[in-house]
Amino acid sequence: MADSSRLKGVGYKPLVGVSLPRTLDPAEYQQSEQTRQQQAERLAIRARLKLQYQLKLNDPHRQGLIEDPAMLRWTYARTNVYPHFRPTLKTSIMGLLWGVGPIVFWTYVFLARRVRENDWIFW
Amino acid sequence: MLKIIVPTMMLIPSTCLTATKNTWLSPTAYSAVIIILGMLVLNPGDTLMNTTGLLLGSDQISTPLLMLSCWLLPLMFMASQSSMSHNPAQQKRLFITALALLQLALMLVFMALDLMLFYTTFEATLIPTLMVIARWGSQTERLGAGLYFLLYTITSSMPLLIALLWVYNMKGTASITLLQLLPPMTLTFWTNTLLWTSLMLAFLVKIPIYGLHLWLPKAHVEAPIAGSMVLAAILLKLGGYGLLRITNLLTEQTTSSYILPLAVALWGALMTGMVCLRQTDLKSLIAYSSVSHMGLMTSSILTHNQLAPSGSMIMMVAHGLTSSMLFCLANINYERTHSRTLLLTQGVQLTAPAMTSWWLLACLTNMALPPTINFIGELTLMVSLFDWADITIFLTGLSAFITSFYTLHMFSSTQQGTLPTHIITMSPTQTREHLLMTLHSAPSIALIFMPQLMYCQ
Repeated sequence: MADSSRLKGVGYKPLVGVSLPRTLDPAEYQQSEQTRQQQAERLAIRARLKLQYQLKLNDPHRQGLIEDPAMLRWTYARTNVYPHFRPTLKTSIMGLLWGVGPIVFWTYVFLARRVRENDWIFW
Repeated sequence: MLKIIVPTMMLIPSTCLTATKNTWLSPTAYSAVIIILGMLVLNPGDTLMNTTGLLLGSDQISTPLLMLSCWLLPLMFMASQSSMSHNPAQQKRLFITALALLQLALMLVFMALDLMLFYTTFEATLIPTLMVIARWGSQTERLGAGLYFLLYTITSSMPLLIALLWVYNMKGTASITLLQLLPPMTLTFWTNTLLWTSLMLAFLVKIPIYGLHLWLPKAHVEAPIAGSMVLAAILLKLGGYGLLRITNLLTEQTTSSYILPLAVALWGALMTGMVCLRQTDLKSLIAYSSVSHMGLMTSSILTHNQLAPSGSMIMMVAHGLTSSMLFCLANINYERTHSRTLLLTQGVQLTAPAMTSWWLLACLTNMALPPTINFIGELTLMVSLFDWADITIFLTGLSAFITSFYTLHMFSSTQQGTLPTHIITMSPTQTREHLLMTLHSAPSIALIFMPQLMYCQ
């Protein structure tokens, strides 16, 4: 168990893209009883899920896939993007930047080239 | 022509009457004989139309596609054997009947000389495909997929019907051979644009072009293997075939309304290539790669260049065989792991190294590696686009690069990596599967030595 006064002067900071490990965070060693109990409950849930998975994994009578609901939700989310599309500022800008913009740009470029080569007006 | 149409029609009663132990063997052998009969209508020569009447004829554009669809029918039967094995015999026969009806409609489309027959059989291909997707697909999303597929195509072909009837009214004939010889109509700008747009739209949706491609990943992913094979290999080429016919018929009607679909198709080839890199579903990856290849072909056809028909014919045959082979390989993985997610099906090089060589061959041909016909087709299309406007080399070059990027990503995600720990039984590869791969790759390797069979002069 680390002494919190030992860590106080060191000043560990999280790096870009990496979160600070829990053991290097001074606040970890000053948790209240209630948070400790909640952490223990969450740990118990995780351990139970891992045990269920291990039981299914090593079951000698299992023949098929283990049905993982998290995997099902993830694959459903990855494949069903369009029905849940919502036009926001960010998505509209992305659509213009990557969809409408380049097509208008390339259409203009091709038309300009044809006009220049054939000495046309475009119709 | 009747020598292949009547046997395909008779495939249906003969399937229903064979004994149940020959349910798959008999139609496979029967359709293999139809391939040989189909070679009798091959027309690699210089003649315009090999025809025996007003309605049916073959051309240098239609013959390779006809051969491709004949070739694929026994392959579809072979590929569906194991996934349909738990169905009762009557349903297997119904499945074979649906595929035979689809084959019949496809043959009539490719041989049609009359525009109305072409349109009718073009629409008629939708119904058996819908039956196959919506009835025998494996996920619940197959109903939505069938709906998207049907409605996209039918909605876009309403203008096609009106335009074809209008052309018939204006020109007095609906025969493709005759329409090529008639002088162009002098039309106002908007009538001309509307005519071109309504004629092109159905085929652009079918090809598919980038903005209207939403039906394709759904339909390809949810269809059973035979449905995926026929969709990727032939039904997409219906759009290309129609586009080639329309641009042949209306060459004189000058318009610049083709530039917008050209830009959309070319940009779409690049965009769908990049989308492929982020796919988590293997079949979805192969479906988006189809959109990418077909986008390049669309833009080349729309340039009305001299090289475009040759390039697109080679590309269509090459892509049909390659895409179908990739779907078969994905199905082989799916039958064993029951999952299409890339993360869950990695590392199969350890369990089935023989399949890895087929995966490698399919991925190399998909990447358009020289000297495969995919390379010849893609190069011809790039050259025809470059001839039209040299700035397109940026887009085509980038899209070729992205193609090789995602193809190698697909290969390494499925073959290499750690084998997932929860998969305990991977049954060994069967001779049927190896035969399937051989029959997919043998034509494309043989055509390396004689690509002029598919060139159009």
